Amino acid sequence: MYILHSGMYKGLPVLWAEDGNQSVLRAYSGFMGKTNLAAGPAQLRAILEPVGIKPKKIMRVTIHLPTARGKPVPSDESLYGAASVPAKTGTITIVPWVVNVAVLDTADLVLLMGRVSGERVLLRGVLVGADMAYMADLMRLAGSLVARQQYLPAVADNYGQYTAVWQPILTGADSDHFDSLLSRMPGAILCFTHDETSVPGDTLYNILFDILASLLGMIIRSATHDTAGKRGRKEFDSIHDSWLHGLRSTRTTIAASDAPQLLEQIHEWHRPVMAAAGMPLRFCFRLEAPQSNKGRWFIRYLLQSRDDPSLLVPAKNAWTSGSKLFPENTDVREFILISLGYASVIFPHIASTVAGRNKSGIDGSVIDVQTAYEFLTRYAQALGQAGYGIILPSWWTGRGTRARLRARARVAQPRMKSSGMFSLASVVEFDWKLALGDRGISMGDLEALANAKAPLVNMRGEWVEVSPTEIQKAVKFLSRRSKKAPLLDVIKMGMGNVSGIGPDADSLKDMDVDVSSSSRQISDILDGMSDRTRLNKMRQPDGFAGTLRPYQQQGFSWMWFLQSWGLGGCLADDMGLGKTIQTLALMQQYKNQNDPDCRDPFLLICPTSVISNWHREAGRFAPDMSVMIHHGTDRYRTAATFRKKASRYDIVVSSYGLLHRDIDIIKKTKWAGVILDEAQNIKNPQTKQARAARMIDARCRFALTGTPVENNVGDLWSVMDFLNPGFLGNHEQFRRNFFVPIQARQDEYAAEKLRQATGPFILRRLKTDKTIIPDLPEKIETKTYCNLTKEQVSLYGATLKALYASLDRLDGIARKGMILATLTKLKQVCDHPVVLLKDNSGITASKKGKKDVIQTRSGKLSRLIEMLTEVIQAGDRALVFTQFVEMGHMLRRHIHETFGHEVLFLHGGTSRKRRDQMVQQFQDAGTTGPHILVISIKAGGTGLNLTAANHVFHFDRWWNPAVEDQATDRAFRIGQKKNVQVHKMICSGTLEEKIDTMIENKKTISKKVVGTGEAWLTEMSNEDLRKMLELSADAGMMEEDR
Amino acid sequence: MDWWYYSTTPKTVKGGIKAQSRRGSFGQSWWAGRWNSVLEEYDIGERISRGRTYARKGQVESLKIHQGKITAVIYGSYKYSVTITIASIDDSHWRRVADRIFSQPVTVAKLLAGQMPDDIEHIFSNLGLRLFPAKEDIETDCDCPDWSNPCKHIVAVYLLLAEEFDRDPFMIFKLRGMDRRKLMGFVGLNTRAGKVRKDRKDKKRRIQSSTKKPRANLRLADPASFWGNAMPRIPENDVNATIPKVDAVLVKQLGNFPFWRSHEQFLPAMAAIYHNASVRGADIFLSKSVDNSDNA
Repeated sequence: MYILHSGMYKGLPVLWAEDGNQSVLRAYSGFMGKTNLAAGPAQLRAILEPVGIKPKKIMRVTIHLPTARGKPVPSDESLYGAASVPAKTGTITIVPWVVNVAVLDTADLVLLMGRVSGERVLLRGVLVGADMAYMADLMRLAGSLVARQQYLPAVADNYGQYTAVWQPILTGADSDHFDSLLSRMPGAILCFTHDETSVPGDTLYNILFDILASLLGMIIRSATHDTAGKRGRKEFDSIHDSWLHGLRSTRTTIAASDAPQLLEQIHEWHRPVMAAAGMPLRFCFRLEAPQSNKGRWFIRYLLQSRDDPSLLVPAKNAWTSGSKLFPENTDVREFILISLGYASVIFPHIASTVAGRNKSGIDGSVIDVQTAYEFLTRYAQALGQAGYGIILPSWWTGRGTRARLRARARVAQPRMKSSGMFSLASVVEFDWKLALGDRGISMGDLEALANAKAPLVNMRGEWVEVSPTEIQKAVKFLSRRSKKAPLLDVIKMGMGNVSGIGPDADSLKDMDVDVSSSSRQISDILDGMSDRTRLNKMRQPDGFAGTLRPYQQQGFSWMWFLQSWGLGGCLADDMGLGKTIQTLALMQQYKNQNDPDCRDPFLLICPTSVISNWHREAGRFAPDMSVMIHHGTDRYRTAATFRKKASRYDIVVSSYGLLHRDIDIIKKTKWAGVILDEAQNIKNPQTKQARAARMIDARCRFALTGTPVENNVGDLWSVMDFLNPGFLGNHEQFRRNFFVPIQARQDEYAAEKLRQATGPFILRRLKTDKTIIPDLPEKIETKTYCNLTKEQVSLYGATLKALYASLDRLDGIARKGMILATLTKLKQVCDHPVVLLKDNSGITASKKGKKDVIQTRSGKLSRLIEMLTEVIQAGDRALVFTQFVEMGHMLRRHIHETFGHEVLFLHGGTSRKRRDQMVQQFQDAGTTGPHILVISIKAGGTGLNLTAANHVFHFDRWWNPAVEDQATDRAFRIGQKKNVQVHKMICSGTLEEKIDTMIENKKTISKKVVGTGEAWLTEMSNEDLRKMLELSADAGMMEEDR
Repeated sequence: MDWWYYSTTPKTVKGGIKAQSRRGSFGQSWWAGRWNSVLEEYDIGERISRGRTYARKGQVESLKIHQGKITAVIYGSYKYSVTITIASIDDSHWRRVADRIFSQPVTVAKLLAGQMPDDIEHIFSNLGLRLFPAKEDIETDCDCPDWSNPCKHIVAVYLLLAEEFDRDPFMIFKLRGMDRRKLMGFVGLNTRAGKVRKDRKDKKRRIQSSTKKPRANLRLADPASFWGNAMPRIPENDVNATIPKVDAVLVKQLGNFPFWRSHEQFLPAMAAIYHNASVRGADIFLSKSVDNSDNA
């Protein structure tokens, strides 16, 4: 495992990495002439290679690290053996060490910073140090400043060396953000330059400012390089040419004797901007709307505190009596005058109103409605950019839905043909009307409005934006519009997608469209889309062998509703709420229709690790549905056979890997529906599996995921386009209309539009929802069925073979001993081959190109990691119990490497003191503390109070329910405030499943016999024992998808 | 026609001060125009257009503005020194001007923001004064052999000044014997608003808010604060990356760089840099990890 770090070296960010594979953070004092701390050059290259980054240069550099007892203190003590960590009690000094650092070129650095931004791991086994994450945050701030052009060209004087620099201008929110970054600056950023034990706060400000300026300059120069001209040029006609060149290229030195004069000139030239930026307050304009169309619009002048923007003082008051907001030695009046003077350059209208001989002139200015509109649409932004505070009326800033011109389409009762079949493809007739705000408006009124040419109109006390050109366009559109369209397009229109309604659609592009209907059937669809609580609640389907909880019934009804209209939906319920059974209910209901037209099977695509879980769950909840597993080397390989075989089943289950590999076969079959489990697998539309998913021919489409897709705008398109192709436009349109406005500008209007367009198709319930909690038991126990890998299957077989070879020859104690030993071995195989083979030679991540070796060897481990991903994303905590200490160590390390969070492992060898410490740490952990606690069931199955956890994983089974329950009760006990989910992990087809079934079927026996442990197995006859241990034919096997 | 005009080509001046206007008038503002108009009162023939060419080509090597006086070094066939002296308006008159100016907030506001108020000439003329120097207020001198005064060298210097006034109309006041500070002082405004802090130690200037919050020291010898562990990520509530509709507003607000010497025009060069960089900055702000792996 490696931890990436970043610091500033000679004005540029460089990388180095701690090597957690060493038993101790190995380091040699720079003074001793030795080197090699942390990752070497080859390792650094290997870490960066999978990300597509080649270091420009790798070199040895001295850094200064906190050091105790002759060893550097590592950034994460849990990486190293406890014994090798220097005691915290020793004095810590700052000592020079030598490390290898990688220098990246700008493009690579930017790429890397983008990758680590907000992440804890870069790749499995490569963790992102807090200092590195911090650098990425700085880079984002620099990017934002460059985008908004908040900087000026300048010259810096470093002890007589003059260089061309770009200087950030921090005002308002930027300045606040900078301050909070300042207060959280990790010292490691400075390890190349600072050898003190402490840096004063004021110096720190300058240091951070310079780092930000370097990053900013780096970004600007990377965009201007091409125009920099001859790069090697040394001779310049004038100092200004040299300055200009330095501002564009990386050769920044200004070697001219008159550089000091230039510096002075620049300061003088900057003065107006700097003076304003340095004030603790800013000048602020507030637009005040009249109560009616006849009233007067007013722009009030205010002074606004930068520290507390809600603190506003009218300029008029400050002019006459000063203000406490002002620092001493500054003149309120001059500040007001300068501010107004500059503002008048941007917004000329101010000039005419500042006039007047008395102090009332600085109260504000009266403007007409046209000017007010221009202020809202143009000048407010320009003034804001120039550093002025702007306060606009809320009806303008929140103008998402109301204060605009809207179109209303009223769909007529469809004329039914004799057959009576009605679908989204049916063409319906509708009527167009326009509305302003909430009220309908006649064509005549509209034209009158357009002629009035007032951009803002007060209607019933509310201001409404009316763009005369928009009205003209709309009127023209309506008069020409054909009033027929497929129902689907009408529905899309209601969700803001007008692309379907023909070539004139552009004129409606910025208009909201409301759709309603007098037809019962159509208004049912519309209502169902806009408010799913109004959907008909479906009865649980016949033949479904389970009981749907009320919210599950609702989810199932919603899925059914979408299905019946051929639409797609994303069920994004929290883990544990039962996405699987809602989906099974849907498929059962479909089968129950008994409609000869609805005989096609469902296709279910999921990660390989959950194939057998689906198989088992289907068998349990929908026993009369037949399931075909399309997986493994003996699967059907031709389209014809596949189609023929598949048509005999109700459900075909396959993996993402095969979806892409066998897409030519899969797409030739007609499907009732396609369901993608763990649909985050297609979040990137460019991946092969995402492209394949879009090619499937199905009547309806569903995506299941426990991660909140709707929160990540970037990931949303791919899933939505799979579900309902074209609804959000193509990827490029989506980027332009939603992604960039929402991510770059926090555009509320675009965000609202996106919610509107996607909301009807995403159902997400949280365990914490008030409406869900009453339906949920306090403890939810689920069995998670996992597959074995090929290696596990062969080890399992070999272990049994060894047993059988000696079984007949042994009896008595020897026989018992042999059986018990074999049981242990089999359980170890189910956990992970390494536990049996002990061949873990410290394999870690990112060995060139190889995928996570550790994880791919065990189906259970893969599944656990997938489930923990959801736990961690939800901010939950989990206990993981295992009976094998080796497994515990492996889990701790592997989970840590995967998520970058510290993981604790409590086992028999843990000292009493350390144990208490761990419990404390886990119970008190804030957002950064350990989320996962691995516990050896023997050492920690009793006594501990771990109510911070609301997930309990039993990684392997202890055939005594009482012991398992006791372990579960570490979390499920008094003090627990959430529902607890218990996940029992079982390898399907193995002894784990068989013994589990047996215990479930014979509860009484289990209490009496099983309660004593595993000894009862040794009493079995050889024949029964074989049956019990033998791998059953339907044991799921995790194979490489070949 | 004089022999003078045909016999010489001016020396090339490396990095001389270059007028920012490529054609037409020098300076965009009306007050620059007023400044220049006095040249029309002289009957000096082709010297005006020669002077314009010199100003654009960058024949002026250096130019200094003092109170009431301009000195410059300019190259023609040889190196010449130019001095332009402008008659000062005396303080008692200035005081009366100041009173008038400050009775109207808009006038002051504009002046402070680098704009010459529209009615400024009125204010002066009502007091029997003139702001823009007339022929009789100007005394010029050049050590070139041309018998004409003003000569083309003087014209070139004069025109370069016009562009400078565009940016800072206070310069005209200065030439008439009044600097900013003194004028403000007449009406009780001091001009120390928002001082830019100068850090003597490393000679760099950074903007700092005048309300200085106490800042905590960073303890490098404390492993937790050194490695930055246990520090939550900073929320970016108000940070965004909106690309502005108009490029380089801050630079445009400050105006052309004084006495620009490069062949490349300053403001267009800046606008191009800001424009390109803006797009790049937004990309960087938006760059999020993209997982391109095809996982099964």
